[in-house]
This record gives sequence, C-alpha cells and structure tokens, in this order.
Amino acid sequence: MPIRPTPSHRLLLRLLVAAQVLYVLGVAGAGYATTAYGRHIWLATAPVDLHALQYESFVCLRYLAAEAPLAAWRGPTPPQRRQAVYVLLTTTLGPDSLATVAGVYTQEQKPGPGQAILRGWITEVYNRSLGLRYNLERYYVPGDSPLRLGKTSPAVRVQVSIAPWGQARIEQVKLLPATIAR
Amino acid sequence: MSRKFLETDSPAWVAEGLITEAQRERLLARYPSETVRAVGLLPLLGSILVGLSALSVVAANWQNLPPVVRLGLLLGSLLAAYAGGDYFLRRGNRRVGYGLLGLGLVLFGAGIILTSQLYQLVGYDVSGLLAWVVAGVLLSYLYDSQTLVLLPILIGAAVQTYCTQALGTFSYATIGLVALGSGWRWWRQPDTLVGSLLAVGLLWQAALWVALTHAKITWFFVPAMLVYAAGDWHPNRAAGRALQGPPLVAAYLFALGLALFGETDQYAGLLRPPVLAYLGALAAVLALSVAGKRARGRLATLPDWLLLLPGFYLPGGLPLAVATLVVLYAHAGSVLARAHRATDAEQLTLGTVLFVVATMVAYFKLTWAFLDKSLFFLIGGVLLLSLSWYLRRRNAQRLAAGAAAVIAAPNHEPETSH
Repeated sequence: MPIRPTPSHRLLLRLLVAAQVLYVLGVAGAGYATTAYGRHIWLATAPVDLHALQYESFVCLRYLAAEAPLAAWRGPTPPQRRQAVYVLLTTTLGPDSLATVAGVYTQEQKPGPGQAILRGWITEVYNRSLGLRYNLERYYVPGDSPLRLGKTSPAVRVQVSIAPWGQARIEQVKLLPATIAR
Repeated sequence: MSRKFLETDSPAWVAEGLITEAQRERLLARYPSETVRAVGLLPLLGSILVGLSALSVVAANWQNLPPVVRLGLLLGSLLAAYAGGDYFLRRGNRRVGYGLLGLGLVLFGAGIILTSQLYQLVGYDVSGLLAWVVAGVLLSYLYDSQTLVLLPILIGAAVQTYCTQALGTFSYATIGLVALGSGWRWWRQPDTLVGSLLAVGLLWQAALWVALTHAKITWFFVPAMLVYAAGDWHPNRAAGRALQGPPLVAAYLFALGLALFGETDQYAGLLRPPVLAYLGALAAVLALSVAGKRARGRLATLPDWLLLLPGFYLPGGLPLAVATLVVLYAHAGSVLARAHRATDAEQLTLGTVLFVVATMVAYFKLTWAFLDKSLFFLIGGVLLLSLSWYLRRRNAQRLAAGAAAVIAAPNHEPETSH
C-alpha cells in the first residue's frame, strides 16, 4: 500500500465519498418519500411533559396506542419482552379519526382499507396488557413549533406516515385546543 | 528510542569506543529534540478550539435551522473532512491526513443518524447504519493506516450494540463485515494493537448475541475460540498471539469463576448447554485450532485449550471446584514450562502471576470454611511470599542462563567465570 495516494487511490476515495453523500441524501429522500407515498394516521398521546424542553431539544410522547390489551395478541407463542412485532391499527374515516390497536402480530400483515401496520417492540408484558414501543416516542421539536411556547402539559395529536416499505416518520404534531384537552 | 536516553547514555558509548564522536552527533541529529515536536502541536490545538467553537454555534442553533441548511452542513463538513484528509496526505502529512479521513467517516455516521432524526424517520432494521460499517471497511483497504483499520471495528461494535439493544435483532451482516472485512485487512497487514482490538470487538458482538438469544453463556466460547483458532493459522506468530489474547483472557476468567463459584449447583446449572451440540461445536473449533498449530509448528501452545475443558458438566459442589483448580494449575504450569523452554521473560512473568492466582483461589476455596480468619491471612501471606520468592529465583536463574548462552555463543570464548 502506497504512502502517498496514487491517482487511482484518489479516484477510489472520491467514489467512496460520493457514495456516502448519495447515501445521506437517500436517507433524506426516504423521509420525503415516506410522506409522499405513505399511509397517514393520527395517534393520540397522553399529556406531554414540556419541562424536558428546557434542557433537551426533544420531548417524550406517550401514545395511547403504546398499551394494547393482551386479547389483541395474535402470536403463536406467548409474547416476550423486546420481541419485534407488527401492530395492526384501524382508523375510522373522518378528519379527526384516531388509530386504535386492532391486533399485535409477529408476522408481517397486509393492511386493508382503513388499516395500517406500524412496527414496534414489546417493552413489557403485564397480566392483562402489553406495553409497546414504536421508536416514535422521541419527538425533536422544531424551533417554530407551538410546543415551544406552551407552559402546561397539553395533549397532542401526532400524525404519522407509514411508507409501503415499512419506514415510518412523525409528520406533524398538532396541539389540541385547550377545551378538548381538558 | 528517546532522545533523552541517547543524550545521557551516548557519551559512555564514545568513551568505550563503541561509536565515534561524529557518529554520536549523527545519531543525535536523527532524533530531534522533543520541544521542537511540541511546538508542532500548537496549530493542532488551535484548530481544535476553532472547530469546537464552530460546533457549539451549530449545535446551539441546530433545531432552528431549516432542514436544507442542516443537510447542507452535514454533507459540507463530510466533504471538507475527506478533502482535507486527501490534501494533507498528498503533502505527506500522514497523521493529520488519516485523522481527517477518520473524521470524515465519523461524520458519515453522524450524517445518517442526524438525517433520520431530522425527518423523524424510524428504521426497523440496521440497514441504515450497516452502510457506515461498509464504508469504514472499504476505507480501511484504501490506506495504510492503523486508525482507519481500527475505526470500522469500533463502529461495528457500536452498530451491533444499537441493533441488539434498540431493535432487538442481531445483525449477522455487521459481525460478518467486521470478521471478514476488517479481519482480512488485518491478516494481510498484521498489527498487534489491531489484532487485539479486532478480537475484543468480535467477542463483544458474540456476547451481545448470547445475551439477545438467551443462550447459555458457555456458547460464547464457540465464536471466541473460533477467533483463537484464526490466530493459530496466521503465519506471523506475534500477530496470532495478539488475536488470541482476548479469547484466552475470557476463557481464563470463566475458569476462574467456575473455580470460585462452581460449588453451587445453581451456577453450574446455568452453564450447561446440550452436551452433544456444544461439545460437537467446540470439538470442531478445537480440530481447526490443532490443525493450525500443527501447520505453523506451534503445538506447544496446545495447553491453552485446558481452560476450555467443560468441567461444568460435572455435578456441582466441591469436586467441580477442585477439578477446575487442577485445570488452572495445569494451565499455569504449562505456561511456565513453555516460557522456560523459550526463555521468554514476559511469558515467565505471566506464568508466575497465573500460578499465584491459582494458589490464591485454591487457598481461599479450601481453607476459608474451617480456618480462623487471622490464621487464614497469615498462612496465605506466607504461602504467597514463599511461592513468589521461589518462582522469581527460578525465573532469574533461567533468564541469566539464557543470557549467558546468548553472550557465549557468538564469540566462542571459553567460559572462565563459571
């Protein structure tokens, strides 16, 4: 191996760097494509603790769909902690339709109309319910978000888009009007 | 060689006629004074400070920047690091050049993570970060740099940790890339530090696999000894031993644990995998290792495998602890015997330490129950002191004999002093 890079080495380095740049751009593209081609669902959360925003740039969202009754379990074997699962969500039609858990599967499912599949993990198995995690719990609050102005702990609606190839992203977070939240 | 050492010792060499004064000055000129080198650090420290200030400005305003600007900053710094690395390498400044190339690779990983975060994007498998490992392994093949070989090993361990902890799956692609990609890179250009770190990285990933699959922890030793067996096949002996160090340390700690806690059947019960499958797999690795040792003429290191004797299949209780102690003694003895044959000072020290540790464990195990505590410490101390005195004396004699043989052999002078 040469001490000083030869022209062919420099060409290889350029190719490698170009591939890396394209890859990062691809990740960004996947973000836009998930919004463009994905299914959009709304998820409700428990009131959000905004105190963390003083120290961090994100808040933790606790989804109501993060807890499913054990009756929704559709696996062949009993659920285990840290197991990866496919959560079938059903949405009712309408402007403020919230998605609710219809079933928790271990195998990939094909969602019908008015349904969506969100992938997640089991965090805890309780006597009557399952704790679920979707990796969407950490929301990086943009600088211009109304959440940054809030002082209380509001309940929010989170719009999630799920791409046909399985990736998901938080598209927007909407503050509920104070009257509904209480 | 340090300049200070040269400055203090070289006048004596001139006086003894080993070198002339002119040669001494030429030698001194070869090793520039360290103050000159320290001044060279100042620009580096300055640029680190400037970089840190830029970083803090960006970090403080990160959430307020529009997505396009954030993406541009990430890609811009990535390109700048690689371009800077290439520039310094062309000018012949290898340290800064490789440092910047490594920084570029780290920024690539940061770019993947921060971009997913920017779009609040969730990935469900490791494919996003796998690209980081691939890029690291490819980059390590392009240049002759220790840093760039070490980086993908560390990145692989980090990615695997994330994958098992956050995603709940094991990425076979990651361990494969590190084992084959970085492994082959090391194989072609062996380096002891890289060898040891490669072994540690692979063992870490193997441990994550054991933890994730809830397998019996003894299964860990099948991949670990596979790493060991690879060391047996390497043509360079020192490089092979560097790779074998971490698996051997793990096996030794395991045997030590068995000697200390093996008495309770509960602990031994945790270790028993299905007999045929486990012993079959381990025997296959042993065969591979023995074949390597035979091919490279290193059968003397075969007693390393003593540590892997599956004593935990014995019923728990004192017999198991005693059997493990016997194995520990046999292993320490084999290291000592090998070191004596090769007159290797480091191995002698290691063997002595292993012997003393085995004695301490044996003493602790066998006497704690029925000896008064003060007597325990007294006898234990005396035993250790006498043992270390005896072993040191033997080592010193052995090394002196070896040194005398080395001095006597090339000159063919008749020995008068002995």
